[in-house]
Formats: sequence, C-alpha cells, structure tokens
Amino acid sequence: MAAGKKPNPVANVMRKEWLLTFRNLNNILFITLVPVLITVQVLVYIFLTLRFAGAKLLMDTILGGAVERWLLQFTVPAGLTTEQQIKIFFFSQFPLYGLLIPCMVALSFATFSIVEEKQTGTLEPLLATPVRTSELLLGKALSGLLPAVVMSYLCTGIFLLGILVMGEGELIPWVLNPQWWISLFVLVPLVSLLTFMLGVSGSSRAKDAHSAQNIAVVIVIPVLAIVVLQVLGLVLFSLLRLALLSAVLILLNVVMLKTAVRIFSRETILTGWK
Amino acid sequence: MGNTIEASGLTKRFGDLVAVEDLSLSVERGEILGFLGPNGGGKTTTTRILAGMIAPSSGHAQVLGLRTDREPERLHSRIGLLTETPGFYGRMTALENLLYFAGFYDIDGRQQAERYLRLMGLWERKDERVSGFSKGMLQKLALARALVHEPDVLFLDEPTAGLDPEASREVRELIEESKEKGHTIFLCTHNLEEAEQLCDRIALIKTRLLVTDTVKNLKTKAFRQEVVVRLKSADERLAGAVQSLGFVRTVSLDGSTLLIEIENPKKNSPALVKHIVEEGGNILSVAERSRSLEDVYLRLINREGENGRR
Repeated sequence: MAAGKKPNPVANVMRKEWLLTFRNLNNILFITLVPVLITVQVLVYIFLTLRFAGAKLLMDTILGGAVERWLLQFTVPAGLTTEQQIKIFFFSQFPLYGLLIPCMVALSFATFSIVEEKQTGTLEPLLATPVRTSELLLGKALSGLLPAVVMSYLCTGIFLLGILVMGEGELIPWVLNPQWWISLFVLVPLVSLLTFMLGVSGSSRAKDAHSAQNIAVVIVIPVLAIVVLQVLGLVLFSLLRLALLSAVLILLNVVMLKTAVRIFSRETILTGWK
Repeated sequence: MGNTIEASGLTKRFGDLVAVEDLSLSVERGEILGFLGPNGGGKTTTTRILAGMIAPSSGHAQVLGLRTDREPERLHSRIGLLTETPGFYGRMTALENLLYFAGFYDIDGRQQAERYLRLMGLWERKDERVSGFSKGMLQKLALARALVHEPDVLFLDEPTAGLDPEASREVRELIEESKEKGHTIFLCTHNLEEAEQLCDRIALIKTRLLVTDTVKNLKTKAFRQEVVVRLKSADERLAGAVQSLGFVRTVSLDGSTLLIEIENPKKNSPALVKHIVEEGGNILSVAERSRSLEDVYLRLINREGENGRR
C-alpha cells in the first residue's frame, strides 16, 4: 500500500461539509439570500420610517431619549440636522441587528450537518476512522463559521452601499464608529461559534433539520432584544458594555464548547442519539 | 500464531441494563470468528467495544496489542469496521464518499479508492451519486470503505444482510479473499449458513459468552451422534434387537427408519449394519445424521434460556 501525504482531518471534514452544503439548492438560497434580504429589509425600514414618520415625530415619541444618550457616547460633527442624527443612529444599529446573519448561517450549517449525519447513518463509520472528536467538531465548526463571517462582511458591504444609494454617503464616517468595528470583528465570530455549538447540541436531540432549527429562537431572541433595547433607549451598548457582552459571549462559548464536546462523544452518539 | 484480539472480563452496562457480561475471548491472527447471538444479545455492543468505539464498564480488551479504551485513534488506523447500516452521503458520488473516508488515513487515498472501487466492480459508477445506488452496491461500497486503508483486523456486522444471493456470494468471496491476505475477521451475522461456510470458529453470545469452538466441535458437543438407517420395512422387534447392542444408547422407530444413537459411529457403524442384516433387516441406506449450525445454535440458545429461567 502506498503511503500518502499526512492526513489533514479538519480540512477533510470542511471540504466534505462545503461539498454537501453547496450541492443543496435550499441550503445555498438560505445561506446567501436570507442574509441579503435581512440587510435590504433594514435599509427599507429606515427609509420608510424616516419618510412617513418624520424626524420630529420620531424624536418626540420613541427615539428622543435613545438618540440623545447615543450622541453623548459617540461623537458626530456639529451642525447636523435632527434627521441626519437619526439616520446615523439608525445606520449604526446595523452591526447589532446584523448579528442575525451569522446566527442563521452558522445554525444552518450546524443543523444540516449533524442531522444529515444522523439520517444517513454515517457517524458510526466516521467515528471508526482515526479522526479525533475535536478534529471532527473543529472541521464542522469552521465550515459553518467561515461562511457565516464572510456573509456578515458581505452584507455589511451591501448595507454601506445602500447608504450610498440613499444619498447619505457623507454620514458613513460617523456610522463606522467603534461599536461597528467591535461588532464586526469580535461579536460576529463569537456569535457564529456560539450558534454553531447550540446547533450541534440541539441537533443531537432532533430528528430533522427543521426541529433542530427551532433552537434558533434561543439565540435570535437575545440578539433582537439587544437591538430593541438600544433603539428604545433602555440600554445603550457603550464600548464598556460591548466589551462586557464580548466577555459573556466568550464565556458562553467555552461552556457550549464543553457541552458540544460531551454531546459529541463517541459513546453518546452511538448509544444515545436516536 | 499470536492472538490479534484478546478480551478479558468485558462487561458493559447502560444504566440498569447489562448488555454484555463478563465476556472473555481471543481471536488468532488470520482467523475468521463468527459472532452469533439473538437480537439484543450483545453482539453490536461487543463489536463496538472491540473496535474502540465505546469503553467497557469493566474488563478490558486489546486488539493488535492496543488497549481499545485507551488508544482508539491508533487502533482505528489499523482496523476496518463494516457497520450494519452502510451509511453514505447521498449527494456525494461513490468516489467522493470513499475519498472522504480514505482522507483520514495515512495512505494514497486516490490510488486506494480506485483499487477498491475496481475490486468491488463499482469503478464504472464512481461518478454517480450514491443516493441512486442499490442496497447491494452500497454494501459493496461500505466494504470498500472498510478495506480502503488495508486494515489488519476487520469487524463486519451483517455483511450480507438484505442482499440478493448473487451479491451475497460476491461479498462472501471478498471476505474469503481478505482472510487469504491474512486479515483477522470478526464477523457478526444472523446468517448461520454463511457463518458455517466462512468461519474458523464460532462464538455464541446471549449477554454472556455461551461457547466458542469450531463448528464441528460444537455439533459434537451439542448433539449425540446418530445414525439414520432407512429400511424397506422395520418394526419394534428389529428396534429391540438393535437396542441390545452394547454401543447403542437409544433407538427410535420412525416408519421404516431407525434413528440410532451410538458411540463412535465411524468405528461401530459396520457392526451395526451387520447386526441389522443378520436380524433380517433390508437396508436401503445408512448415514450419519447431519446437524446444521442452525440446529446447534437453537439448541444452545434454548438451553441457555432454560437455564436462565431456573
């Protein structure tokens, strides 16, 4: 028998996951179209809200306190109109709202990947190979994490393009505040990984991908809650609070990683997964 | 010849359920051991323990000198496992599936995949998605997967289950070829004819290991040796005359046939025949009563059931 090159189990798993995922039209549409629709929807909502409610009404009702507090945290040039201030405030919410994108993409990978292994009966022969549980889990996690992060960044680009199309390009330097960057480069990967771990844990009990995706609620609701709380002015995610949120996410990731590794133990899979 | 598989006092519990109890066995290099038993008797659990997939609750096992519960990854690089269900990724082709599994071993995956796909007669269909494969083709592909890294030990769980006779024969031939190459084979099967045909020894399990021996010895142990004498006609007088012989234990009359349990049939059959002829018997045929592995299996399993009820 000819010896081959040293095996790379993680890359092997990733290659297979992508091959399977991108051969399924439903998966492709879910992973690409839904994030773009979420992004466009945000732009449309902002445009319609300002168009029909008007800046004054918004400031006098739900947004006054929130925008005021927000402006104390993040500097904007003097002389901006109220409408421009509201626009910067709205546009700046995208990185938090956009966390739904890595949630959905990572969850899609996690649930389809695990449930498909269960349905096809491939886990037992797979676990009979020399692959380590950690390598298998890492390969699966990275195969979901990378598209989740890429789609998040792509949609961020689409969002910025949307701002330009709306004729508000001069506001972009003020929209790209530190909250934006922390969200993109810290929260997006952390949320992707956390969602993936939740997906793996939920899938171990689920019989099909749809049941597994019900656990999306567990992570989608807190993400939406963060945005709603900030828009209503109830909580402002200052840099300190974002740092704290990141720390909590890191902690949750560690807890979920341990849970996923336990759930993904060979004995649990072979004797407990039905 | 050294033992490739050594198990000592293996017990596996799942909560209150004892799946395997105090199992000890050994399998020599190049041997095919048939592992038989009823559903839920502990065959799959034992196979999983020996293949390093799950750890025993107590006891230990070594395969190829490696402790199955301590070095599973090293063990997995040297064993092949054919699971009861030949699971594959339906949206991937036969070649892609095989390359994926081969990709976990330190081998030239492409060369080995081609070799085994050709051997299994699947090379022409390598680029077809396996979702369109028949059960026989999937089973052959699963066997290719189990063999692709040329393991020293093969664990085969129901390799011919659900296959048509032609595919079953092909799979059996492949198992025999593997044995000829020196592979040690641990074969779980419900197909007793297949076990009798392929296996050097049989192990019978019903939670505990009931017996391990060659098929021939099992038959001798499970049943007394009987000679079947077909006559033109037979009656109670002739049966009584046969019973009077010293080496005859029991005689039963079934129409014109005498079923005679005797000691050492090879030695005593000529004297038996001579005596029957002298008593006026008109013999049509004489044969040792043959017992199948199925008879032995049922006798031993039922005996165990009766012991368990006592």
